[in-house]
Amino acid sequence: MKNRIKVYRAMHDLSQEALANEVGVTRQTILAIENGKYDPSLILAARMAKFFNVRIDDIFLLDTIGE
Amino acid sequence: MKRNSFYLCVAAVAFFEVAIFWLSVEISDPLPCVLAIVLGILGIYLTKMYIHEVVEDERTKKITEITALRTLQFTWIGLFLFALWIIIEALGEGVRHFNRPLGIFGFRLLVLLCGIIVLYVILSLYYNKKYGA
Repeated sequence: MKNRIKVYRAMHDLSQEALANEVGVTRQTILAIENGKYDPSLILAARMAKFFNVRIDDIFLLDTIGE
Repeated sequence: MKRNSFYLCVAAVAFFEVAIFWLSVEISDPLPCVLAIVLGILGIYLTKMYIHEVVEDERTKKITEITALRTLQFTWIGLFLFALWIIIEALGEGVRHFNRPLGIFGFRLLVLLCGIIVLYVILSLYYNKKYGA
């Protein structure tokens, strides 16, 4: 799963810590998601999409090549 | 309370536990040590509720789940092999020369391991039911 969290974070001028606080997870979790080491749950993905006011598939993209 | 303050509290509780352990050894009474451990766990649990920062989230829970499962699997296999080793050692040259204390320990360990499997199956059925199977 690819994601564009880093891009949206930059657009909103947010640190990993600030985003983590907004969506109720640890900074390490945001880092792990950005690095593609952890795929978030649907609830967390929806929470992030709601926070950035976009759709889930604007942030998360299914990486079919690596599947 | 901040996360680092919580870790300081945990360290303080750990020092307290060590002190009570030595007190129990000095007075040859295990009761203070057992009570201190129960109170310590309760104290840490209650203190954890007052942390404002996020300490646990879905990723840490997933890590804990996988770690717990792997620990159970490795421990079970290790103890099972150990129990078999002990029973074979106890049997030695045959049933006639059965090393009774060692053999009983090995069989009790096997019974305990069977109990763990039974508990695993019961919990598995419970969670299957809870999550809609």
